Amino acid sequence: MELPESALAGLQSLAHPARLPHKTFQLLLEAAFHNLLHPQADGTALDHAELGSLDPTLLKQSYAAITTCILEAGKQNADKSTLSTLLEECRFGSERIDTFCTEYQKNKGKVEALLGSIGRYPSHITDVSWRLEYHIRNNHLHKVNQPSYLLTLKAENGEARSAEDVTFSCSMEQLQDLLGKLKDAAKSMEKASQM
Amino acid sequence: MEEVDRILLNSLRQSGADIAEDVESVRQLTTELIVECVVRCLRILNPALGNGVSHLLPPGMSARFRIGMCLAQACQELGYQGEIGYQTFLYSNEPEIRRLLMFLVEKLPRDSADTADQPAEKSVLLQRLIATKIKQQLASAWLPPALRTTSLLNTQNSCLMNKFHSQALSLLSPSAPPLSPSQQSLLFTELWEYWEQHQPPVTAQAWDQACVAASVLERATADLSAVQEWEAEWNSQGLVSRLSPEEYKARKRQRLQSRIQEYLKQSSQRSEVRAGLAGTPAPDLTDPRPDHRCLRAKHSRFIHTEKFTFTQVSEDLSLHFSHQFPPPTPQDVQAEQQKEVRELEKQLKSLGEQIQDVRTAMETQTLTVNQVSEETRDRELSAEEKQQLLHIRKRALDLLPDAEGNLSKLQAVMEASAQRLVSLAGQWEKHRVPLIAEHRRLKQQLDSHELESSRRLMEIKEFHEKIKTSAEEAKRKENVHRQLVLELEHLSRGVGRAAYTQRILEIVSNISKQKEEITKILSDTKELQKEINSLTGKLDRTFAVTDELLFKDAKRDEAVRKAYKYLAALHENCSQLIETIEDTGTILREVRDLEELIDLETGKKTLINLEKILEDHRAIRQENAGLAGRLREA
Repeated sequence: MELPESALAGLQSLAHPARLPHKTFQLLLEAAFHNLLHPQADGTALDHAELGSLDPTLLKQSYAAITTCILEAGKQNADKSTLSTLLEECRFGSERIDTFCTEYQKNKGKVEALLGSIGRYPSHITDVSWRLEYHIRNNHLHKVNQPSYLLTLKAENGEARSAEDVTFSCSMEQLQDLLGKLKDAAKSMEKASQM
Repeated sequence: MEEVDRILLNSLRQSGADIAEDVESVRQLTTELIVECVVRCLRILNPALGNGVSHLLPPGMSARFRIGMCLAQACQELGYQGEIGYQTFLYSNEPEIRRLLMFLVEKLPRDSADTADQPAEKSVLLQRLIATKIKQQLASAWLPPALRTTSLLNTQNSCLMNKFHSQALSLLSPSAPPLSPSQQSLLFTELWEYWEQHQPPVTAQAWDQACVAASVLERATADLSAVQEWEAEWNSQGLVSRLSPEEYKARKRQRLQSRIQEYLKQSSQRSEVRAGLAGTPAPDLTDPRPDHRCLRAKHSRFIHTEKFTFTQVSEDLSLHFSHQFPPPTPQDVQAEQQKEVRELEKQLKSLGEQIQDVRTAMETQTLTVNQVSEETRDRELSAEEKQQLLHIRKRALDLLPDAEGNLSKLQAVMEASAQRLVSLAGQWEKHRVPLIAEHRRLKQQLDSHELESSRRLMEIKEFHEKIKTSAEEAKRKENVHRQLVLELEHLSRGVGRAAYTQRILEIVSNISKQKEEITKILSDTKELQKEINSLTGKLDRTFAVTDELLFKDAKRDEAVRKAYKYLAALHENCSQLIETIEDTGTILREVRDLEELIDLETGKKTLINLEKILEDHRAIRQENAGLAGRLREA
């Protein structure tokens, strides 16, 4: 795992037990995780009595470093050993490494969820309803006599928006083609999982 | 035997032979399978030997025979001691095949399993991870949104998604911006004040809370890649230029600035020309709007090419121009302004025309001034020459009255000066030679220094390469180590091994039990033997005594004589009986031996093999006949 120099410098300044007592370190760490996972726009991120006694530049720098470190670790799916080697390189003591790692493990799933929520998904098809209709004749032809299917795919996208449904009609061959394609897709997924 | 067979078959399967799962003993192997197993083993043991032979048995009899011979020879070359020939493969019997397969499997390299799985690369690892995730997600059932747990919320697509949107963050940078010292201190204190008092924490800087993570990540990546890019550039170009990093940066900045200036000049000229063609006034350089677009284009190109090392310049530029964007104004103000602008433009146009006229006039004037000044310079030169000539002639005229004396005086002066010249030349030479030598020496030194420095440069480059490769190597090895540790954790801890050891211990205990029994039986037999011996001795003695007594009495008594006769007959019969019993025992033993022999022979499948041989013989005959027929036809 690689971090930019500014983040490394911030982490190194965190490692000094003299400059930063362990209690404050823990507070800062918790604040970083909390602000990342429960963002608040009002700028009260670091308004804690004990944090206020620190040098504001140092505090901001360390805070930015911790945030970067957490996000990068989540992005690279870093395990405990990788994280602890990184922190050791920044001259962290074993106690602080343990604190960091446990806090990270505790929140790893949420960090992953946060990172996973960047981007977009296509809608998920959750249900399908269909209807068979039969063309007997139309304006131009006296006898048509062809069946066709009316399909409605129910889709969902995110918890907030109720997704719109996809409706279309198709002939039997087209439906078979669609079915074959879907089967192919399912098979491909299975093949990908077999690797 | 079953245990041995299972181990054998397992290792054969590992060597690549296609043995069905239901085959459990060597007896079940068909000729085809035997040939395949042997060929696979040979291919692993000795590729040169094994690759020449197909692992599929051909239908033709003669080809089969040839393959058998080949395999037998190959096995002998590998050091197989037992009897082997084509018949071993084609007309197999169980013990021989088992012996051969055991020999081959023992020879197989033990660590083949280790060499087989090469350390997987990072991408392979990632793919594997993806595959396991997909498998997990495929295994979990779909649930309606209301029932989903938090872990399912992410995988089953019901969490709220945010588009990737990032924003520039202001972070406290550890290195001060490169400026002149006075400027730097001023700016630095101001920056410091900002950092200390006004800068919001990172997570509060983004306008939308959703893009905090994206912004932080992008910032980190940008910083990292800037460092990497600079290192790559420094290693490829900076080192060769033999400048210190600061000098190199300064030079590059200069180059870039000159390029920007040139571009600005060009574009302004172009727009002037364009304006001239269209009959509109030339846009003033202070109005950034027309130029802004091309500058933007240039700016973005710079960003692409010199992206990270010199963002400073382009940032300054963009800052500069963004300042001068006119703020949006309401409509009526705009109309008024437009009118004003039109008037001003008209004015500007007339002024421009005037300026143009004055400029052309000025150009012609400067041209004439230049011409005139040149002429005066020429004239001055010629006047000077003429004055010098005049001076010389005046001296000659002065000297003319006393011509002889003056001539001789002049000659003396000339000689003296010539001598002085010679001596001076000598002195010059004296100074010159060591100086030239010194010069040469210095030059050589310089050359050697240059050589040395280029050599050093090469070395430095090599070291850089080495550092990079070793760092990569270290990283790779670390990855491999981690992966192997993971695999080790995943590995089911040697079930087979434990089972085997247990089995071996059982067998050993069995053997010791059997040994005990055998010794017991042996001691029993010995006791029996002893008993028999003592009984025989007792019998002999008793018989002798009885015999003597009866013999003594037999001369006197007829009945006793009869008894004596009976006794002799009894003794003889008894000894015969014993002999018969002993004979029966030996015969029984022989029978058992023979039975064992029969078993062995039946195990060799002699009859079946004989039938097979007969069949094959017939096939060969047919083949031969066919070949002969074809020969005759040909």
